[in-house]
Parts: sequence; C-alpha cells; structure tokens
Amino acid sequence: MTRLSIQLSALLLGLSFAVSAAANSPTIRLFPTTVVEDLRQTGDVARDMENGLQEVIGRLDQQRELYEQSKCDGAENDPGCQRLSRQIGATYLEMLTIMEDRLPDMEHTVNNTRQSLERSLRNELGRKMSSWTLQETLIGASEQGPTADSSPALRGRSGMRLSERFRQYYQLVATSGSQSDQSLAVLASDIYLDMDETSVLIERTRQEIARATLMEQLNQSFGIITPEMMEVVGGVKTILFGDEESRALVAGPPPGSVEQAYRSPLEQ
Amino acid sequence: MRISVKTSALIAILGASLFLSACVSTEPSCMSPQTRNLDSAITAVQSNLSSGCAAHFDRYYDDLLTIAEGDPRPENKRTFSEFLVWSTDAGLLSRRQAEDYYNRFFNVKFMSMRGDYNNCSHTCPNRQRLLIEMERELSDKERGLLLVSQDSEGYYRADQLFNEVELVLEATCMACAAAR
Repeated sequence: MTRLSIQLSALLLGLSFAVSAAANSPTIRLFPTTVVEDLRQTGDVARDMENGLQEVIGRLDQQRELYEQSKCDGAENDPGCQRLSRQIGATYLEMLTIMEDRLPDMEHTVNNTRQSLERSLRNELGRKMSSWTLQETLIGASEQGPTADSSPALRGRSGMRLSERFRQYYQLVATSGSQSDQSLAVLASDIYLDMDETSVLIERTRQEIARATLMEQLNQSFGIITPEMMEVVGGVKTILFGDEESRALVAGPPPGSVEQAYRSPLEQ
Repeated sequence: MRISVKTSALIAILGASLFLSACVSTEPSCMSPQTRNLDSAITAVQSNLSSGCAAHFDRYYDDLLTIAEGDPRPENKRTFSEFLVWSTDAGLLSRRQAEDYYNRFFNVKFMSMRGDYNNCSHTCPNRQRLLIEMERELSDKERGLLLVSQDSEGYYRADQLFNEVELVLEATCMACAAAR
C-alpha cells in the first residue's frame, strides 16, 4: 500500500540530486524546485487514491467470486443472488464515490506538474536550443557518448500504471540521469507526455463518474449487475495496478564489436 | 600554284576536323570500378574523378560503399575519410560537402538535425519532415556504420538517438504549442 509513496519519495530524492547536479554546472534546468514540489504533491494524492481504491476493489473481487461460486449467473430472481447483487452494486458505488472525491485533487496536482514541466521544456529545450544543440545534449557532452547501460531506455506511455512509471523514472534519475542533461531531457519529456495523457484521462473519467453513479443508483432498486460495472472495475484496476501483458519491451543492441576508436577529421 | 593553295587549305581544314573528332573520342567513359578490392577501387575512382568525371561523384561514392559492404571492417571508416579528404584537397568537394558525406554514413550524429534557429520557431513547424529525413539518414548509417564498418555499437546509438529525438521533440513541440 505504501509502495507508491516510497517510490515517489525516492523519485523526489533522485530529482533533488538532479537539481543539485544541474546547479553545479551551466546545464539546462528542467527540474526546478516547483516541478519537484508538484511531483511530491502528485505522489501524495496518487498514494491516497491507490490506498482507498485497493481495498474496495479487493472487496469487489471477493463479492464477484462469491456471486460466481453461488451460480447466480442466470438466477437473478433468486433472493440470495439479488442480495449479493445489491452488495456488489453498493461496493461499486463506494468505488465511484472514492474516485469522485479523489480525482479533483489528482487532476489539480497532475495539471500543476504538467504545466511546470511545460514551461521548463518550452524555455530550456524549445527556445534556448536549436535542433543541433538539442542533439548534442541528447548524445551527451562526452567524447565517448552514452553506453547502453547508462542511457535511459524509452518506455512508451501506455499499458503501465502511474506508480510503475514513477518507479522507472526514479531508477533512471538515480542511476544515470542525475548527472547528465541527456537523460534529464528524455526523462522530462517522458514525464510531461505521461502527465498530459493522465490529465486527459482524469478529465474523461470525472465526466463519466456522475453518469455511472446515477445508473448504479437506479440499478440498486433491481439488484442487477451490469456488464458495464465489471468493465469499469476492470478498467480502474488496469489503470491503477497495471496490465502486465502490455508492458513495453525494450530492444537490446545488435551484437557486435564495440572497439571503434577511429575519429575522422571530418567528424562533427 | 593557285590550285595548290586551295588544296592546302582543304587539307588543313580536314586535318583540323580529324583533330577535333579525335578529341571527342577521348572523352572519359566514367565507368564504375570493376574490382571488388576497396583500395584498388578507390584508386580507380580517384583516377576517373581527376579525369573529368567529377559530376559522377555520388555514383562513385555509392559504388565504393557497395564494394566496402563486401569486405566490412572497422578500418573502412578511415579509408572513406581519407578518400573524402583527398576529394576536398582535389577541389572536387567543399569541406562542408565532405563532412556531410562522411557524417551521414559514419557518424552517430544526424546531419538532418543541422539548424541554427530555436526549436519552437523552426524545428517544431517542420518536425514531421525532419523525422522523415532522419529516418532516411538512419538507413544510411545502417549501411555505413553497420554494414561497412561493423560498428554495431555506433549504429545502436544512432538508432537510440533517433528515438530520443522523436520523444523529446514531441514533448517540446507540445510545450511550445501550448504557449500560443
């Protein structure tokens, strides 16, 4: 339950290193303190929401299992099954209520983080750099350039829960990104695009919750479990707790020698 | 006497015509190198380029890459670099052209990313075109780094750089657009 908060704390620690590393050299400032603070708040709100929903979703799973074990599918008129259906419906309403309570805070902090990163990216990479200097930043200032171990792997932005993404951000910052602009530029871009996607999803979810709540309140009168309920629960579980199958794989380098010492006088 | 002067003039004109037609027949053939040995091929190409075939430089460069693919070695980078430096010294290429020829095939950095203006104002409006050009350049790097020089690490870095540029530009351009 506290995994997300630990991961976010670690991420913030990593970002603090990144900020201090950036302060020691004339480097780009993609993670100013405002972004770090916004990330901390987003982490707190995400943790609260995850804690609240995990218990309710666990209860929903148990009730659903009981419903299936009691062979209630096709026996909706049975009084026992109707009682089970109402219990499931009530828990479902509870889940919607928790989401309704938590989402505005989540939306607010996610938007703040997104806007802070937006400003940083626009100023540092958009206005202060040309395409050539951006490339030089990404490739790294050193002559050797990044190795496969030290450079960040692109993860893609779908099919992975927020807390897992944060854990990966932390790992990248803690192991390599804290000392290179190259990694920070990729990291900032990745977080920003994640936040933008998350922000759109939260907005859509909030719009749907009111409608889903009304529908379930009506269904409570009849003790019906609708397929939509199960779909919504499944969707929430996927968003919050991840979808193992859709986790993006990162390709490895092609095999071959790495002994390439020659540098042409024509090389840029 | 008058006849002999006219005859002499005709002979002179005929001689000049023959001389000119002889010049036409010695126009260089600009053939592609026939050997599969890279060093020999470069010598042949250099000879042709110095004999009026400079307009065929692109084709010769492509021929040399194809020959080098048949005998891939890390040293091929140096061979191509030296050939391009010779081309610059011979006045066939400007320094910048030589850099483009070399870096497009044998360097991790993308020459398509050359630009002096800021990303918000210049790169973002042309982002799709830039990415298409980079993708083409990446296939040239595959040829130069991977197939000619056996520098798989370099090619991997170029491929990774392409992916990173795509991601960072997507985010940066979205951030730039949000200010409008």
